[in-house]
Amino acid sequence: MTTMKTVTGAVALALSTAMVAPATAQTLNVAWSQDATGLDPHTQPGFATIRLLELMYEPLVRLDANLELQPAVAQSWEFSEDGTSLTFMLDPEAMFHDGTPVTSADVQASFERILDEATGAISRANYTSIVGIETPDEHTVVFRLDGPDAPILNGMASVNAAIVPASAIEAGTLDTEVVGSGPFTLTDRTPNANATLTTFDDWHGGDVAYDTIEISVLPDETAILAALRAGQADFALINDPLVATLVPQTDGLTLNSAPTLSYYVLQLNAAREPMDSLPLRQAISCAIDRQDILDAALLGEGDITGPLTSPAYRTDPSGLFCYEQDQDRARELLAEAGYADGFSATVIAATGEPPTASAIAQVIQSQLGEVGIELEIEMQELSVYIDRWLAADFDMAVALNGGRVDPYTMYNRYWTRDGNLQGVANYIDDTLDRLMIEGRAETDEAARREIFAEFESHLAEMAPWVWLFTGNTYTAQVDGVSGFESSPTGTLFGLVDVTLAE
Amino acid sequence: MQYFLRRLAVFPLVMLGVSVFVFVAIRLVPGDAITAMLGTEGGMLTPAQREALAAYFGLDQNWAVQYLRWLGGLLTGDLGISVTYGQPVLDIILERFPLTLQLALMSMVVALAIGLPAGVFAATRAERPSDLIVRIFAMVGQSMPNFVVALLAIYILSVGFGVLPTMGRFIPFTQDPLGNLAQMILPAIALGTAFAAAVTRISRAAMLEILSEDYVRTARSQGFSQSYVIWRHALPNALIPVLTLSGVEFGYLLGGAVIVEQIFALPGLGRVVLDAILQRDYALVQGVVLFIAFNFLLVNLLVDLAYAAIDPRIRYGGRK
Amino acid sequence: MSVLSALMRHSAGRIGLVIIVIFTIAAILGLLGLTPHDPLAQDRLARLQPPGGAYLMGTDLFGRDILSRLMVGIGQSFVVALLSVGLATLVGTILGLTAAWFGGLWDGVAMRTMDVLLAFPAILLALLIVAILEAGMTTSIIAIAVVYTPIFTRVARGPALSLKTRSFVDAARTFGSSRLYILSRHLLGNLVAPLTVQVTLALAWALLTEAALSFLGLGTQPPNPSLGLMLSDSRNLMEMAPWMLIFPAAVIMLAVLGFNLLGDALRDIADPKSRRALT
Repeated sequence: MTTMKTVTGAVALALSTAMVAPATAQTLNVAWSQDATGLDPHTQPGFATIRLLELMYEPLVRLDANLELQPAVAQSWEFSEDGTSLTFMLDPEAMFHDGTPVTSADVQASFERILDEATGAISRANYTSIVGIETPDEHTVVFRLDGPDAPILNGMASVNAAIVPASAIEAGTLDTEVVGSGPFTLTDRTPNANATLTTFDDWHGGDVAYDTIEISVLPDETAILAALRAGQADFALINDPLVATLVPQTDGLTLNSAPTLSYYVLQLNAAREPMDSLPLRQAISCAIDRQDILDAALLGEGDITGPLTSPAYRTDPSGLFCYEQDQDRARELLAEAGYADGFSATVIAATGEPPTASAIAQVIQSQLGEVGIELEIEMQELSVYIDRWLAADFDMAVALNGGRVDPYTMYNRYWTRDGNLQGVANYIDDTLDRLMIEGRAETDEAARREIFAEFESHLAEMAPWVWLFTGNTYTAQVDGVSGFESSPTGTLFGLVDVTLAE
Repeated sequence: MQYFLRRLAVFPLVMLGVSVFVFVAIRLVPGDAITAMLGTEGGMLTPAQREALAAYFGLDQNWAVQYLRWLGGLLTGDLGISVTYGQPVLDIILERFPLTLQLALMSMVVALAIGLPAGVFAATRAERPSDLIVRIFAMVGQSMPNFVVALLAIYILSVGFGVLPTMGRFIPFTQDPLGNLAQMILPAIALGTAFAAAVTRISRAAMLEILSEDYVRTARSQGFSQSYVIWRHALPNALIPVLTLSGVEFGYLLGGAVIVEQIFALPGLGRVVLDAILQRDYALVQGVVLFIAFNFLLVNLLVDLAYAAIDPRIRYGGRK
Repeated sequence: MSVLSALMRHSAGRIGLVIIVIFTIAAILGLLGLTPHDPLAQDRLARLQPPGGAYLMGTDLFGRDILSRLMVGIGQSFVVALLSVGLATLVGTILGLTAAWFGGLWDGVAMRTMDVLLAFPAILLALLIVAILEAGMTTSIIAIAVVYTPIFTRVARGPALSLKTRSFVDAARTFGSSRLYILSRHLLGNLVAPLTVQVTLALAWALLTEAALSFLGLGTQPPNPSLGLMLSDSRNLMEMAPWMLIFPAAVIMLAVLGFNLLGDALRDIADPKSRRALT
């Protein structure tokens, strides 16, 4: 121990001198824990990839922090009376990083690429109502739809529908080079280590107050906190609520948080025995104490939710089926299902993704144990977990699933008969399918809210999944960084409004 | 001489074994690069889309073809392209290796700077209380896993001294030597602690043995001062086992320090390997593991050769 | 018994023995469920309690008793270490003995395979094996066993080779003893001392490797306690709850220390020449 102490003393000295690293006013040092897995905006689904690409590519429209649609490449847009065509007027100022203007031909080429099944575009399913794309002039694009499709606009507000240069599609360079029309250009990148973004002076959206973003990928959330405290990072994305709660305790650091659209859920595999029994699934739902899980695993950082997480559709969940823990009712329902003595099942969760997955699984295990349900937890590496998740090879799964602004876009993949993840959800009934289809075609806001409220209440009662809560998206910044606004989508696009003190 | 020739002949054979082993091992790992890359949204893909992606990454060929293709590439210095990085594997290795090399060197410096004087000191005071204290510390130090040292060091620094370990974007030595050293010193201490303890023990043992040899006694009896005897006669001889130990240990460190790199967020070879395994980046795992094994075998060979050159008495047979 | 009394006379050996005996008792109590609290029971109102009171070493994020978890954790670690080293000893000794006895092609194949395994840093080899087999206790045992098998192969092969050429084996051969008899009687008899030393030291390494694997989330799976996992969990909380870091860290260190001391002492007893030098 003596060697230890003297050495740390010396280190302390060395560090205190090294720590006053001069941060020039023009560079924003950003740290996050997961790096993008690729550069092609149409085929890359990961949150981390989207966070990065959103700074460089633009869709036609984007969502602001209040989830309202805002102009991006498109200046304005309107549906035709009958809802079967959607016209965008492009911003004539919009320009790609290589200096060429963004034209209707680029929009057409981008959407043709997305709709081409061979591309493997991640959000293709959101645009399948498009039957034709017309370009009457350089700055006008008309999408012909096979029928009214209310959610399509929200569906386009994603970097997965980014407008890329037609020339880049032709040259096949999308997975190696970034030529977008967004506020930053990619100057340098070492995957899993760092990236340098430079402000694009000709960005049509306005001016950015600084010159460069230096991104460091620090795989450990504690290391990110340390980097912030040591002044090596000015701004950081934080995934672990435990680490986030430590941020406000440090002088000179500010935590930004916003409730997210993504939701924590306990997925039950209703195609497997005994989860195919409705009362048994309901028993599980009743045995869960959501607030208790939230308090223990996320230190209370989140909000209990039903299936609908978008602010426009979200309701007070306490009216949903068994949202108050009721162990007696759970035991009754278990008995009704023929499992009065409980049963055993396994639950899968991914290691570190989200960071709270293991904790959530452990609290659920403890709660279900109280009514006689024996859970075995299988923690798996993310890629193994995903394989099993996609194959619906689990009894139960703890998941953090992505949310969307529009309930139809968010859930049609799971809860419609043709949904491409129906096989994962593994439960469907006529009511769900019907309500989804009605919701898609309905354009009146109030009527849609009613449809989806019914959808939500039915889903909670059928309990194919047990929705738990939404968490928060966290960013942390040092004093001197200001102007960032968090968004429920988790986007870091708010960085364009950031100013740095001298 | 014959021994060395045999060692040299075995070298490529072992490397070939390593290449087969790692090639097969990584393919036995469940999950594939496409799943690892696309996440749950991968479920939105049609089978045709998946096949197109597999073909793109060359994952549609059978193993034998893939292996031979890889082996052929190896001979021309082409280690393949990493799926996650979109870069040649060799470039990634060469970019990360300097950090690992530096960390290994710094750990060795820490170990020798603490271990050698401590060992010599203890040997000259054999069986006295000060010797006992050194030995206790050495024993305890040798029992401290590097990640425990790392965590305790971070804790002591931040809570005890209110100073924070430097973590963040890695600063190359060439860019900012001071900043680089501040960043690397804690990891080097974490990796160097057990190493220092081992050096202490082995140098103490070697010194004791030599101090009891006739020629050292003779020198002493002829009136040479204690320190002269130690520094001129005993220490050079005692260095031999220390060098051997350091060499082997250095070979290990060149393989990257998975956990310590993880804790201190350093982009070294250990982290590359861990990420590559988790992301099912076959080419990268194969390339890095082969590189690590090559270094390890090479360092061991050199240590053996150096050892034999210094001390011709040794007999070969087993290995540490 | 003579080894035991020799150990008790050896100062380092005595300390090592005491540590290991205490830890073994704690481990057995832990495995038998005789802990102060249920190691899995979550007292979520008593989250992150500092040491003292009902929870001697404090509680973790879920209000679980750290002391009870440590006891079970030591138990699990010891079980993994013992079984993996046992497996490595068994397989390694058999490989080493047969390699020495049959020589030729088998010797070459076996020893080159061991060379290949030895070319991997231990943790890297273990990581690969765990990735293939899916994390868990059995996998940890297999992975650690594979990592340390080459060492035992070499330990067994060396003495076996020299014994093979010695005359008494030849003599036994001419008297018509079966090969198996010769192997077990003479060779194994001469291997016990070096193997015992190696096994004790390997137990210390195995403990470390197990802790490292579970630290990375690739060993024992939650909610089951393991020393590495407890340390890993403490990382984000070390400022709020330092006891979550300090107790598991001390336990790992002491356990490894105990085996190291014991191993050194056994080496001294087996080979008195090195005694003065290494204790």
